Amino acid sequence: MKAMTRFFRSSWGILAILLFWQLWVGLSGVNSIVLPSPMGMLRSLAADPALYLSSTAQTVALAALGLVLGVALGTGLAVLTWFSRFLAGLLTPLGIIFASVPVVALIPVLARIFGYDMRTVLAIVVIICFFPAFVFTGAGLRALPPGSADLFRVLGASTWRRLVLLALPAAVPDWAVALRLAAANSILAAMVAEFLMGTSGLGYLFASARSDFDMEKALGASAIATVISVLSFLLASRFEGWAGRNWR
Amino acid sequence: MTEARKTFLLGALGILAFLALWEVAGQGRWLGLSWPPLSAVLALLVDENRQPLFARALGATLSSLGTGYLIGGAGGIAAAALAHLATPLRPGLERTNAFIHAIPSVALAPLLILVVGREGTPATLAALNTFFILYVSTASGLAATPPALKDLVQVLGGGRWTRLRRLDLPMALPTIVSGMRLAAPSALIGVIIGEWFGAPRGVGVLVINAMQNFQIPLLWAAVLLAVLVSLSLFGLFGALHRGVVARLR
Repeated sequence: MKAMTRFFRSSWGILAILLFWQLWVGLSGVNSIVLPSPMGMLRSLAADPALYLSSTAQTVALAALGLVLGVALGTGLAVLTWFSRFLAGLLTPLGIIFASVPVVALIPVLARIFGYDMRTVLAIVVIICFFPAFVFTGAGLRALPPGSADLFRVLGASTWRRLVLLALPAAVPDWAVALRLAAANSILAAMVAEFLMGTSGLGYLFASARSDFDMEKALGASAIATVISVLSFLLASRFEGWAGRNWR
Repeated sequence: MTEARKTFLLGALGILAFLALWEVAGQGRWLGLSWPPLSAVLALLVDENRQPLFARALGATLSSLGTGYLIGGAGGIAAAALAHLATPLRPGLERTNAFIHAIPSVALAPLLILVVGREGTPATLAALNTFFILYVSTASGLAATPPALKDLVQVLGGGRWTRLRRLDLPMALPTIVSGMRLAAPSALIGVIIGEWFGAPRGVGVLVINAMQNFQIPLLWAAVLLAVLVSLSLFGLFGALHRGVVARLR
């Protein structure tokens, strides 16, 4: 009973939206081509799980791989700029500019450059995950606890030891923020890219179902993307909270 | 040379190097015809014959952006203030927000076209994106008031409402303004995706048409236009943020 109350306390908004939607479709009697009901969407999910599963697996795999590569590249470059003030000064403003650019608008340009296939989707996810990782890790490596850098210098620590023992642990909370931003965006970026280029995966499933006027299937695809995106956001937020408590 | 000037010069050098690389890669056709030189894109952007086209697109995009940004921003701040006053509502409001924000905009756009029409969709998506960011930043700003000051208001006989107006809101202002800055590019993304779904005009329409018709320089010019809008808004709110922080801290 307690669990029920807790669930209701945190989810009343979502339940209300779903209920209102179901009632509205039922009472106004609109065709399911125009606006399917949540129940119709669930029926469509249950009717052909294999189709949804293969598309989902592909999109999730692309998004996860892109997330790992993009965050690794961004972190690596941020560590490189930590070694060299020159490189840091040269690259940081550029990184900040790109991190504040509407990256989704760049997808058509990137699709033209890399060609219309799966590698392009991967490249787009990598690029979208790269910039927050670079900017936040770079800032975290420099935001050291007061006095600690002097202490390391007085004790005669080498540059390498300063990086491993001081700067990297200090950057973990900021890195976790970047991971949360990138994780939520990676699935959506992969889906938008697949939608625009019409290759395969959830975005393509959505686009093709929509052009067949199978709105129940189209909304099924987007419901899956929503659930995955919420889950990765919650997971990354939890990691961020843990990193903030244990590494500061 | 001072440290600040050195940082500025290095940054400018980095940006110039990037632009030069863009130009050289375009001139040398390293990436084929899909990568035009910067000069060609800029020439197209300032070409007199194209001015009416760009001006119309920019006007439509900016008006959707402004409408959506204002509605979403005011709503986000109001909802966060409501959650701050009525604590039992808070977990539900937060979960609903995160859920709506996680629905992919490509999936939301076709539904919005039914509900608010093709013309209203870009502004609505912008409003949703702005709402989420301003709700989160306002809520975290309002929650960060030092407990000692809260106790002071209570001891002096101030209720919840007085505390919100006199203490929490002013304390949260820097965080709110920083959220306003983050929301600008995100609102623009909403407008552009909304325009992809058949708005009559706008920068997003220009992008998608140029992409489908292989008008490569026009595609780059339209994307550059979107990027410039986003960067100027980001810079504008950045200046506002510095002003607010300097005034309040």
